[in-house]
Amino acid sequence: MKKLIVAVAAMALLAPVAASAKEMTFASWGGAYQEAIRKAWIVPFTKETGIKVEEDTGPETAKIKAMVDTKSVTWDVVTAGGGGLMRGVKLGLFEKITPDMVKTDHVIPGARNDYGIPSEIFSTLIGYSTKAFPAGGPQPRSFADFWDVTKFPGKRTLPDKPETVVEAALLADGVPMDDVYKTLSTEIGLKRALDKIRALKPNVAVWWASGAQPVQALGSGEVVMALGWNGRFQSGIESKLPIAMAWEQQIPQVGFFMIPKGAPNKAEAVAFLNYIVKPANNARLSEFVAYGPVTEQAWETIPTARAETLPSTPERLKSALFLDIAWWAEAGPRVTEAYTAMLKE
Amino acid sequence: MTMIARHAEPGRRAAWHGFPVWLGLLPFALVLAILFAVPVFSLLRLAFGEGGFTLAHFQRMVDVPVYRSVLGTTLGIAALVTLLAVLASYPLAYVMATVGPRMRSLLLLLVLLPFWTSALVRTTAWIILLQSNGVVNKLLMGSGLTSSPIAFIYNLSGVLIGMTHVLMPFIVLPLYAAFRNLELSTVQAAESLGAGPLTIFARIILPLTAPGVVAGSMIVFMNAIGFYLTPALMGGPGQTMIAQMIASNINTDLNWPFAAALATVLLVATISMLVLFQRFFGLERLIESGGGKAGEPFTVTSRGRSPGGWATVAAAGLVAAFLIAPIIIVFPMSLGSSPFLSFPPESYSLTWYANFFSTSKWVAALTRSLQIAGVVVVSSVVLGTLAALGVSRMRPRWRAAVETIFILPMIVPVIILAVGLYYLLAPTGLVGSIWGVALGHVVLATPYVFITVRAALKSFDGNLELAALGLGASWPTMFRRVMLPGIAPGIAAGAIFAFITSFDDVVIALFLTNIRSRTLPKLMYEGVAHEIDPTIIAASCLIILVTILVLGANLLVSKRT
Repeated sequence: MKKLIVAVAAMALLAPVAASAKEMTFASWGGAYQEAIRKAWIVPFTKETGIKVEEDTGPETAKIKAMVDTKSVTWDVVTAGGGGLMRGVKLGLFEKITPDMVKTDHVIPGARNDYGIPSEIFSTLIGYSTKAFPAGGPQPRSFADFWDVTKFPGKRTLPDKPETVVEAALLADGVPMDDVYKTLSTEIGLKRALDKIRALKPNVAVWWASGAQPVQALGSGEVVMALGWNGRFQSGIESKLPIAMAWEQQIPQVGFFMIPKGAPNKAEAVAFLNYIVKPANNARLSEFVAYGPVTEQAWETIPTARAETLPSTPERLKSALFLDIAWWAEAGPRVTEAYTAMLKE
Repeated sequence: MTMIARHAEPGRRAAWHGFPVWLGLLPFALVLAILFAVPVFSLLRLAFGEGGFTLAHFQRMVDVPVYRSVLGTTLGIAALVTLLAVLASYPLAYVMATVGPRMRSLLLLLVLLPFWTSALVRTTAWIILLQSNGVVNKLLMGSGLTSSPIAFIYNLSGVLIGMTHVLMPFIVLPLYAAFRNLELSTVQAAESLGAGPLTIFARIILPLTAPGVVAGSMIVFMNAIGFYLTPALMGGPGQTMIAQMIASNINTDLNWPFAAALATVLLVATISMLVLFQRFFGLERLIESGGGKAGEPFTVTSRGRSPGGWATVAAAGLVAAFLIAPIIIVFPMSLGSSPFLSFPPESYSLTWYANFFSTSKWVAALTRSLQIAGVVVVSSVVLGTLAALGVSRMRPRWRAAVETIFILPMIVPVIILAVGLYYLLAPTGLVGSIWGVALGHVVLATPYVFITVRAALKSFDGNLELAALGLGASWPTMFRRVMLPGIAPGIAAGAIFAFITSFDDVVIALFLTNIRSRTLPKLMYEGVAHEIDPTIIAASCLIILVTILVLGANLLVSKRT
């Protein structure tokens, strides 16, 4: 015990002192995603500005909250999806980013947020096995096709969380894009979505919990169709798995970079956010990972061949339904309960 | 006096001039108070409202049926897994106790192998083995045993397979220790009195190995309650477990009060089950020690194996195959060249091994994990053994309560402890250093040592202790020369469990380390929501290989001396 006290005291003395200027810490999810960010943005940013970027991993919103609560924030920029952003905003975990800090007029309207700078657009859509549905024959194009087990027989995989699935179900059931969230907000509308999913249950072999699963299941032939993320399907395709994507209907989401409240190097963080949202820079991420830029001007610098693999081309966005993160922030817990109950039946 | 003598454990009388109870209990009690009670209860408190008092969160659990159903599923799966693990462990432990030393070491290695592979790697291997066109189904269909693929995974059987596989070692080891403590002469005496194999099993082996099984079962049950990666990946939607919901309420929904309410209910339910269990099968109810270590340890008697014995050996073979199957396919998988794992791989390469060694982060994380685990093993063995000695010398009245308190860290969802520890340690600067995460692991690991040493003390013959003390040995000398050798297998099992607890933990590391102090499991889980980096498979293979080499070398050396 005495040893412990000594250790505690010693560590307290060694606690990090405030970082010197021209340095900041960036935290994201590790793996290929963070590597892409490093190559596309961090390295050139440091070269251009001289600001050194330390990297960290695992910016769980719970950890950000713990940091903010205990005033021990070590991160200056963190990344999250819309859900993490909105829940953090509700608890006051992020700094507000005003237009005079970072200009975002050029960002497509659906991707703007007061507390986060949009970094990229990824999408939930249908990936299917080209062994089961080869070119030349009928290939699934819409969510209605995903639900059509007569025309497209075989097992499916869906996420084990309701985000994007209830939307896809209503679209498949013929609800117009603009009415999806209005419908989901009513009890009857939510029931309609859940009934639609319930009807497909016998044909769902896997309810996936991690983004790698749908690709694995398509590759191994466990399923013939998956509702999953375009970036994962794309890596499957690049690894020569027999997979193709149906681009006609999709549910895009925006990835965000935020500044946690009390970040030690806020000025450097703001400089970094300005850097990544600049069209020419923003376009660069798609060289390393199949996510689309958040501004139309970025397309000028992206080769056509690469644009083919990205979800946010102006053409594709026309038929896309953006995930409504404000709606989910409000309805999330209730819908998740209903969805889990339906799955457990 | 007779009353006391009946209730007291062996050696209790010696306690007056030997080992003081407080010395045993105090260190771990202090650690628990500071590093467990404070952080955990400051978080669980939220269940009753952040400002004023409310029961709204508990009301929601009552109103929405899905939570009751998930709690029921969790307890049900944990009970089933425990039962399966006990059933599968008996044949294996029996065989381990009755074969030669070399075969025994080999089996021991086999039992421990699932432990050295990360949960992520194990479940991936199981999925590839068991999916509808996986290896097992291909074999079954190829041999004409079935005509269509069997759905092994994405349902209850998937969860049971995955969880039993990794939790079984927790029963096999204490059970094996209990078998070794059996005296051959007891069995021989029964045989000479005309008892058949079944009678011997039911009347001698079962009661005498019960402490080991009970200790192991408690560990498995409580561990199983906290599982969520395996059910999420190998189960279907019907197998959602409560730990999954608690974690997502903490991490994703940021609804800490509700997570606290869920954890509180889980805690109450588990403790109630534990108390009932203790009452009917608990260590207190079990027979007093079975004979001394003076006799020859249990093995096959001169009569040889009965037909039942041979059937048990066959069953043990199957269990061994079950333990090793996913580990065997991991090796060829690690040599595949595609980032999408398959078995057998379409083409071979050393890419992932090259990756492991070329980027310093993997080796650094592995080294750090080993350092932390080392600190954790030493600390928790000392704390846990002291605590077990203290408890076994306590007045029986309070023993059960203290025993329950000492294993609480196994029941509280790890994420609750992790978040609580962050708040506690952030002001000390220990967050981000390896000491913070080590402290968390010590809290998690010590109960394992406590339970296994408790079980070992239970089957240790107190008369030996009394005899040594009576002959004038001081308590420390007696402990070193008599008691320690007797309970060494229990301590060793506890040490292994402590090592694994630390070496496999993701959750504590997630909150208490940063990029400079991250452990191997944390690194393995990075980006896992998106992809599985095959480098983690290569890392697992390297760890297995090193384990085999170390144990193999050990075998060779010990054979010569």
